[in-house]
Amino acid sequence: MTDLGPLAIASAVMVAALLAVLGSWLSSARRPASRTAPERVPFTGGRPPSVHAWSRYHARYYPMALLFLAFDMEMVFMYPWAVVFVSEGIVAMVEMGMFIAILLLGVLYAWRERAFTWT
Amino acid sequence: MSSLVRRLAAMSDARVFAIAGGGGRWGVQDLRLADGIELVASPRAASVLLVAGAIGSRQHEAVRRVHDALPHPRATIRWGEANGGQPVPDAELVPAGSDPVPAIRAAHRALMLGARTSEAALLPDEEPAAWRGVGPYGQGGSGMTGGTPYGRPMAELGPDRDGLRLDVLPTRLGPFFAAMVHGLELDLRVAGDVVVGAEVAAAAVAPTAGGAASPFVRALIEPMPIADLEVARARDHLRWTAEALRLHGLEALSRRALLLARTAAPGQGPAVRALGAAVARAGVFRWAVPPADERRRDLLAHASLGPSTRACGFPVDERLADPAYQGLGFSPILGVDGGVAAVWRARLDEAAMSLDLAARAGGATTAVTGSVEGPRGRLSTGDAPAGRALGLVPALIEGLEWGDALSTLASLDIDLDEMASVQLAFA
Repeated sequence: MTDLGPLAIASAVMVAALLAVLGSWLSSARRPASRTAPERVPFTGGRPPSVHAWSRYHARYYPMALLFLAFDMEMVFMYPWAVVFVSEGIVAMVEMGMFIAILLLGVLYAWRERAFTWT
Repeated sequence: MSSLVRRLAAMSDARVFAIAGGGGRWGVQDLRLADGIELVASPRAASVLLVAGAIGSRQHEAVRRVHDALPHPRATIRWGEANGGQPVPDAELVPAGSDPVPAIRAAHRALMLGARTSEAALLPDEEPAAWRGVGPYGQGGSGMTGGTPYGRPMAELGPDRDGLRLDVLPTRLGPFFAAMVHGLELDLRVAGDVVVGAEVAAAAVAPTAGGAASPFVRALIEPMPIADLEVARARDHLRWTAEALRLHGLEALSRRALLLARTAAPGQGPAVRALGAAVARAGVFRWAVPPADERRRDLLAHASLGPSTRACGFPVDERLADPAYQGLGFSPILGVDGGVAAVWRARLDEAAMSLDLAARAGGATTAVTGSVEGPRGRLSTGDAPAGRALGLVPALIEGLEWGDALSTLASLDIDLDEMASVQLAFA
């Protein structure tokens, strides 16, 4: 049974993918007639929008990269730490606390740089 | 298979988008307590459109636009007045006094089982401008940065905090936007999630024909029992609280406030205070409302907007000038900073105080007519608090983030029905 485990998972994934494809094909085949122009417009309360929905905004890659690094580093070090945590005991706990405290400075910096606000 | 899915769908709650026309606001709110239906915030999520109250001919097109935004299969129920023409010709009529829930349930069931055909689109299938085949790529205009692709111009440009020029989106909200009172049309300019410009494009509901005026409007003309007025005031405050709690995502507390609003009676002050404590415990005042600021306080100070003004610490209350209220030992509850949280507290505290006053009032009647303290501020002949609040809306919400702007707007409690009835009573 354990030998067949990966095979069973792979076939389950394939069956799920097939079902998804079949489902999307069925839903597109049974879709009602195309909608009229007023039906396609985004709803904001009953008046037509005055401008096109294409909107240019700043993705702010720099603060986003900063945040990604902070959380990614945390994860990278926490996996090996979790493996040795039981044998190392309280020392590992304190060391991880220090490490996260330092990383948190990066998050606080990103916060000050308004990385969490949209505009 | 198909019929099994249909039967399952028919068993589900009917998802309803409700339009509240003149006089329909509280009736629609009461439907939130009804079983078997669910009010949704967008017509895209609904199968049944409920048009409640009076709809003027000016709003017919907007109603039709909402109707066309419902996905197929869809049905429309018209609840209440049918004067002024029907915006949706095929709508099923339910008279004003009766319960629309059975009709909504039946329409939903019939739609899901396929026994009722979906309503066709009401507006013509026309693009806002001719675009197919126009432009070098057939995209409808001169380009993607400033032209009119697909028939609509691009957003405006405005400065952003990094010195770039990015899009400022003109956004037309209303008249039937779920997070605002129905009838209010706002033209916002939004940069990211910050409101950088606001303008009230229109704010009116059609007056109800022959509907009973609120006790406060009647108190302008004739002396009214203080107990009646104060219970009505408490109920209005509690209904507002229910609506605001729902807007802030606290559905269960909202239901509790609405149940209390429907049954509030003299002497139930403790129940209202318990609700107020629950609202405070839920943390609304800490995380869900914008912080207080001086500008807001200055704007509200002289507007005589009832709880909003008193929350700033100004004892502005028409009841202070009434000897009948003086005899009952009335003194207004005052806040300090005038923030949105203070307005919530003021409304809840005043609701509790009103029920206490009503219990003490006995048969006393008001001694002053012509100018009355309504639940939302000073009411006088031809002058409703909603009119004064509307003038402040742009200054109050500009510069706020989207959620804070909606929260601020809700705190004003703009009641267009009251405005219409004050204008009608003295026309």
